[in-house]
Amino acid sequence: MGKNENIRLGIYLCDCEGKLVQSIDLNKIKSAIQSSADFEYIRIADLLCGKMEKEKIAHEIEKYSLNRLLIAGCTDPFIERQFTVLAEENGINRYEVEFVDLIKSGKESTKWAVSIISEVLLQMQERSAIVYEDFNVLPEVLVIGCGKEGAAAALAVSEKQPVTVIDHDSPREGINLLNGKRNITVKTGVKVVGLEGFPGQFLVRFLDNGKHVKQSFGAIIVALEAQAVFDKVKYNGVQLGERVLRLSQFRQSDKDQYAGRKVAFVLGQADQDSLLSYAAALTEAIALREKGAEASILYDDMKVSADQLEQDYERARARGVNFLKYNGELQIVTTDVAATVRYREPFLPQSEPIRLVSDCLVLADDYQSNAATEELAAALEVRTGPGGFFQDDNVHFLPVMSNREGIYFVGGCHGPIHGIELNKEVEAVKAEVGRFASGKVRAPLLQPRVTAEQCAVCLTCYRCCPHHAIEIVHDQSLNNMYHSAAHMNALACRRCGTCAAECPGKAIQLPLFSDQEILQQVSKPPKLVAYACENSGALAAEYARSLDPRLQENLQIVSVPCSGKIDALYLLKALERGADGVLLLVCHKENCKYVWGNERADKRKEQVQRRLEEVGLEGDRVEIVHLAANQGNQFNASVRSMVERINQLGANPGKVIK
Amino acid sequence: MIIVDNKAVEDVLQMIAPYKKVLVAGCYGCVTVCLAGGEKEVGLLASQIRMARQKEGNPIEVLEQTVERQCDKEYLVKFQDNARDVEAIVSLACGIGIQYLAEVYEPVPVFPGVNTQFLGANRDVGKWEEFCMACGECVLDKTGGICPIARCSKSLLNGPCGGSQFGKCEVSKDIDCAWQLIYDRLKSLGQLDKMAEYIPAKNWHRDKGPRKLVKEELTLERD
Ligand code: SF4
Ligand code: SF4
Ligand code: SF4
Ligand code: SF4
Repeated sequence: MGKNENIRLGIYLCDCEGKLVQSIDLNKIKSAIQSSADFEYIRIADLLCGKMEKEKIAHEIEKYSLNRLLIAGCTDPFIERQFTVLAEENGINRYEVEFVDLIKSGKESTKWAVSIISEVLLQMQERSAIVYEDFNVLPEVLVIGCGKEGAAAALAVSEKQPVTVIDHDSPREGINLLNGKRNITVKTGVKVVGLEGFPGQFLVRFLDNGKHVKQSFGAIIVALEAQAVFDKVKYNGVQLGERVLRLSQFRQSDKDQYAGRKVAFVLGQADQDSLLSYAAALTEAIALREKGAEASILYDDMKVSADQLEQDYERARARGVNFLKYNGELQIVTTDVAATVRYREPFLPQSEPIRLVSDCLVLADDYQSNAATEELAAALEVRTGPGGFFQDDNVHFLPVMSNREGIYFVGGCHGPIHGIELNKEVEAVKAEVGRFASGKVRAPLLQPRVTAEQCAVCLTCYRCCPHHAIEIVHDQSLNNMYHSAAHMNALACRRCGTCAAECPGKAIQLPLFSDQEILQQVSKPPKLVAYACENSGALAAEYARSLDPRLQENLQIVSVPCSGKIDALYLLKALERGADGVLLLVCHKENCKYVWGNERADKRKEQVQRRLEEVGLEGDRVEIVHLAANQGNQFNASVRSMVERINQLGANPGKVIK
Repeated sequence: MIIVDNKAVEDVLQMIAPYKKVLVAGCYGCVTVCLAGGEKEVGLLASQIRMARQKEGNPIEVLEQTVERQCDKEYLVKFQDNARDVEAIVSLACGIGIQYLAEVYEPVPVFPGVNTQFLGANRDVGKWEEFCMACGECVLDKTGGICPIARCSKSLLNGPCGGSQFGKCEVSKDIDCAWQLIYDRLKSLGQLDKMAEYIPAKNWHRDKGPRKLVKEELTLERD
């Protein structure tokens, strides 16, 4: 094979502080590789994961212009992650880094090590180089919502790029902060009604004071604040008035009028889920103290589990705010001159209720999603989650991500609790949209490719992509009867591979995870094949191997970027080619990094079970397991029970022996 | 779009029971779009057939191939190498493609791998609805763009019948009453007067036999 000029490989052999020396001679490996393989650089290190190495490797990557790395030593998922991060920091894509584990139990020998390293080297050299492209993007950012949260986001982003802020039928409390600021345009009476295009080049359709207009933006930040609602039932039907105010009302009021007077806040009767009322009460109480008022906070359970809250709580105490803990029911009595709360002290349950008399009583509100949420979510084609707020209830999306690249959430729009984390979220969103500030983004062309000849333009991929990364393009050069084909946008695609697994024409291939690359791994499968999501199953498998290495001897693990990539065909093929059973190892429900990959996998499992039963084979030969990356024991338990099941079922009678 | 559904594999297996080498033939037209007869489905069915026969101790060789459309002979030609090489063909195209394939490759037996269902639209992934019955004389102008023949359970041209209730058909409450839909649509179009217009009965007797469409001005033949 001729040397590929574009590939510049660096090879690192790690001695793992002498752990390897006894069984493997790294110097021999080095000279064996030097005589046979093409590469730019090779080095033996004592302890590659040590502190000093980070800089050294970075320096070597630059000096030898390395663009692929092979690391051989005692690897595990955590070490691998460390190196992929290091590689990415130095401009090497994570898919260009390969690891070879030199201490797989029982097999260690220099000869074995040379052969396995050579095999991986060959694969790396044959793989075509990842191509990067510069995309033109618009630096302009649209912020939807001009409350205080929208204003905070707009101010931060405007330091580097132009921002347009619209009200979208929501309160405009932040407008004063924005008027006349450089890089900021504020438009009121404007709402979003539609969206086309992809990150960097979104075309937004607006209804601008009754007129339809459109404008392009690179990115969009949703900042519609949560709405305070007051439910008087939670306060035994108390009448609001001069002496009894809702917290949201009180926040608008002028604090000067309370100088020398007594104000009490009641927390815990409403707003069970968020910390917003706690944060607001603390801020207001501190402000009152500064105006010379007396402030008390009645609480049943002081929630301070956020950085800012903890600090405010300490500050409030230092300024002399009274914190009074209550238990059970409250009784509120108002007269023309005072508002009184009767409550029970939790530590003195037998005693009479205590009376707290104040000039003004402030009651916590509940928070609900902004009334415009559902309509806006439909217009932007982004998902909502619990309580009708924006964003899935999925840890992978925190803090500010949506299911679409280029569209972000800050503050109460994705749950009142996020109002507390506002500063952090604003920083995160600023960094995200900041990628577009220069007007250019560099990205690897790793999105799926479509073979037009096989594309029936059926729209299945378009509809199944959880990230709205697909469009149908028309071009005379596309060689099918429609001169059209699906096309995946490099900036919008998150590389889950769901589209490829759904395509009825097998027209879609995901680079590095093509059908060929995956099916090659099951050309002669052992008894059990496990298709494992990279984010859960595959990591759990690594961990599980350290717990019980022998269990994996008759198991072929095939990694996929997301369980949404596990094609029904992969399951049948594994069985046809000789496996007795197949596992799908996928993330827990509601926890798929790519929204619904695990749900698609679930359906495909059912489909394949049906197909097996149709031809007289046992559907039980296919099973799905939901697990997390750290559940090595669960992994082993699932494998053991599957092995047991296969043993009971006996050899797969459908395997086609070649 | 022609909508088809897959035949029970059991039936397919029975059809091809006598043979040792077959071709599963897919179509990149309608049946790919309705997720039942494209290259993917060809692969899945082929795999099922191989395993089923292996299990019976009667292994079979299954070839796989998909062409642009099985309803045009120029595309069917692409099957020639494989078709000559097998004892039978299972086609996953609609009834049109299956028949044409059988005609072109006679005497190789061609079997249906799908049940052709109807002419319809794809509402969402995995959801199809019948919209047209190819009656040959379209009345959509009179019915607000909703077909009474395909979408009314009784194909009434002058509906509704007495069984329409709360917008649902008396045949099943899962079926929207087409005439309710027509009424609502005509109302929103401001054309309610069309409800009173009588649509004469169609001539369902195919007195000229199977339908053919020949446009002399387009054919390549000369008189
Ligand atoms: S799913 Fe496949 S055939 Fe359908 S539009 Fe996408 S690429 Fe084309
Ligand atoms: S790989 Fe995933 S994100 Fe990318 S286009 Fe396909 S379905 Fe969408
Ligand atoms: S053969 Fe049938 S399914 Fe295929 S394109 Fe023609 S009409 Fe559609
Ligand atoms: S009236 Fe109905 S069945 Fe007849 S052509 Fe029109 S849509 Fe088709």
